[in-house]
Amino acid sequence: MFGIHLDLAALLTIGITSIIVLILAISGARRISVANPSKLQNFMEWTVEFVEGIIGSTIGSKHGKGFIALGLTLIMYIFVGNMLGLPFSIVTEDHVAWWKSPTADIAVTGALTVIVIFLSHYLGITRNTKHYFAHYFEYKGAMLILHLIEVVSKPLTLAFRLYGNIYAGEIMISVILGAGWYGFAPLAVWQGFSVFVGAIQAFVFTMLTMVYISQTLIHEEGH
Amino acid sequence: MGVMALVAAAIVFGLGALGAGIGNGLIVGRALEGISRQPELRGTLQTTMFIGVGLVEAMPVVALVLAFIFFGKA
Repeated sequence: MFGIHLDLAALLTIGITSIIVLILAISGARRISVANPSKLQNFMEWTVEFVEGIIGSTIGSKHGKGFIALGLTLIMYIFVGNMLGLPFSIVTEDHVAWWKSPTADIAVTGALTVIVIFLSHYLGITRNTKHYFAHYFEYKGAMLILHLIEVVSKPLTLAFRLYGNIYAGEIMISVILGAGWYGFAPLAVWQGFSVFVGAIQAFVFTMLTMVYISQTLIHEEGH
Repeated sequence: MGVMALVAAAIVFGLGALGAGIGNGLIVGRALEGISRQPELRGTLQTTMFIGVGLVEAMPVVALVLAFIFFGKA
């Protein structure tokens, strides 16, 4: 069976997530005031400082200035995307799903992973060419097989970690809903835990992005 | 085929949960030890602990998804 499946729920929620992040970012940057910051401005500043902290501990502030936008976009988009499927889920007849977290779809997390991995390899090859290729043949080629396994497993685990966490959370919600009114308390507990997991996974994805970029981009002396 | 799929789902997720439990236990335990030794590093250690938990939980969560797939095929 040949054909490209367009998942309507995924497309719809990708667009909605993008719009929400855009509105948050633009309203946070409007009418900036040093003496009297609004709550949203405070929140955005906190997020930017948080991303700067991540970059500082991985790439280092010297080389990392240009990656703040990437980190900020990733963490906001993934966090909003993870939260989207929690309040409700719309499934019509014939099991057509109209609403779910965009990150609960392997296609979306796969796309995010492809962007990030492509970026890390591209940056390594263009900005750090000599060390990038020398890295593979360290220790007289003994590390080669390990590095090749790494090249394959990094994108796979990155994509599947985010997908699995959010998708399993959504399935668990539908399982708990099957218990009817007895499931009220467990559902509340599970939603709370899902918010926590969503935040952690957004943070881990962003942190790992920065780590992978730092591995190909920065060459430490004494290697 | 139906019963084997259920058994497969149970094994996949059971072993995954075992791995997650042991892994997370080790991570948080060592983080606790580190915090008790150097209370001023509490913020860094806590952050690293959460990163570790997020990383370790990746495989068991994939096992969970697989278990749901098997369960659906039973």
